[in-house]
Amino acid sequence: MRGWAIAIISLRDLERFWKYKWWLAALVTMNLADLFVFALIFRGIVRKDILPDYFLFLAPGIASIAAFAAAFTIGREVMMELRRGFHHYLLSLPISRSELVVGRIAAGMVRGIIYQAPFMALLLALLGFPGIRGMALVSLATLMIVASMSSLSIAASTLVRNLELQATIRSLLYFIAFFLSNVFYPESIIRQRFPEAVYAIIENNPISIATTIYRHVFLPELAPSAEVQLLLAKLFLWTLLLTVGGAQLYARNLER
Amino acid sequence: MGAAVRVRGLVKKFGNFTAVNGLTFDIEEGEIFGLLGPNGSGKSTTLLIIATVYKPTAGDVEVYGHSVTKRPDEVRKLVGIAFQDPKALWVDNPYELLVWHAMVVGYGLLDARRAVREIMEELEIWEHRGKLFSELSGGTRKKVEIAKLFLQKPKVSIFDEPTAQLDVTTKHRVWEMIRALKDEGRTVIVATNDMTEAERLSDRVGIIYKGSLRALGSPAELKDRIPAGDVLELRVDGALGEHVISALARALGTEKLNVSNGTLKAYVNRGEEKAAIAIETLSRLGVRVRSISIKEPTLDDVFFYFTGAQLGEGK
Repeated sequence: MRGWAIAIISLRDLERFWKYKWWLAALVTMNLADLFVFALIFRGIVRKDILPDYFLFLAPGIASIAAFAAAFTIGREVMMELRRGFHHYLLSLPISRSELVVGRIAAGMVRGIIYQAPFMALLLALLGFPGIRGMALVSLATLMIVASMSSLSIAASTLVRNLELQATIRSLLYFIAFFLSNVFYPESIIRQRFPEAVYAIIENNPISIATTIYRHVFLPELAPSAEVQLLLAKLFLWTLLLTVGGAQLYARNLER
Repeated sequence: MGAAVRVRGLVKKFGNFTAVNGLTFDIEEGEIFGLLGPNGSGKSTTLLIIATVYKPTAGDVEVYGHSVTKRPDEVRKLVGIAFQDPKALWVDNPYELLVWHAMVVGYGLLDARRAVREIMEELEIWEHRGKLFSELSGGTRKKVEIAKLFLQKPKVSIFDEPTAQLDVTTKHRVWEMIRALKDEGRTVIVATNDMTEAERLSDRVGIIYKGSLRALGSPAELKDRIPAGDVLELRVDGALGEHVISALARALGTEKLNVSNGTLKAYVNRGEEKAAIAIETLSRLGVRVRSISIKEPTLDDVFFYFTGAQLGEGK
């Protein structure tokens, strides 16, 4: 695999990312509203013995959601390309299938990292620098969450030929990942209110895992018992499964 | 020169539909090969297999010895394709798209910008460089699509309906540019359903119909294969007697002769050779020839002859 070929493939996806300025602005606004409207209001509603500060509790989760949402947009590109037959052009270029696939996944990853950067800066401003180890953990979690979500959305966008069904699958996956996570609710409440099976799903959702790692780093008092190595191992497994599986599905489904 | 592309027993099925059914032919290095056939005949599918976009269901294609099934990465380095439907998304603009394409095919950024400007100016689309693809006319989109190949200049260039939607002047310009690729020693494949285009451009033509190859050869060879395809039209002084007509029929080797109002029409093969024989025969019999013309069959005639297709079938 040639690095420049992967970089050029990713470059096109990045250029396109900036073209949807208004859509991006709406996405940023939505995430900021989650934090500065929703979280600030709930700070006054949520019992302090459960969560001393809901605003600070939500902030790492929003950084996690931001990375996920931006990485997930690459699937939308792939879907549009299939609709317009643009994938034929990509398949005819003098690059290998693995360079094409890795380039697309990398593009989703870079989108996620770029989009998350201001939210990460906000976290640093609000909660302070967590040290070298802390930043290494956060970076590792970010890399894995953007790789897995980019691959998942790309694979979902090529699973079926019916475009309406394709959009439905992507939306469904997005909402499962978004709502069945611990971003908005603390673990103790989830365990209390949901059946054990649902709790297991929420606990093992890659977004929940990344969020817990962020919380452990930035707000150790909120996730004191987090077994970081186990969380990293789980996230790594998700990443391995979704990137390898996603890449293979993408390559296989593009070709007829 | 040897074969640049070898197609062997190529089959492509989509579900129960067989788009390509057992194609076998060679495309020689440095020639312009016309793939001729109506819409839905399997031309584009064949080209997409050569370009490694589709995988064959059976059979294989080799490009300079590299199999599309076994070594597709090597094939892609040698082949480029300009698609029938221009490939771009609505948010793309022609300049960015072409610069990106140039970089993918190996240009550095500065060279890419220079080369893109040159080709866009040559095709008279420089003024449209910053527009969204969705704002461009069909002809301009087509020019952007073929510009990709003139930038790339691969060893094997595939043009799928290159001049569809182009005005007459541009069409001729594009034909010149395609011939220039051949002059540089490159192999060119042109799929078209425009008989004039096939005839003007191609060294050899393959006629494909309902997924099968029906004829292969140079346009002249294919025309000659139509029995009595040329029409000799002779205007003579005075009436033609039965003995003259019989002698002429024997000399020309045809029974298809008819005479009306001092004009004799003979349906023959290799019209030019037969014209000389006709003049000599008539002179020997004392008949003065006032004028003679030869009408060759067109590629339309060739197509209908080899495919057995009927007018209106494509409707």
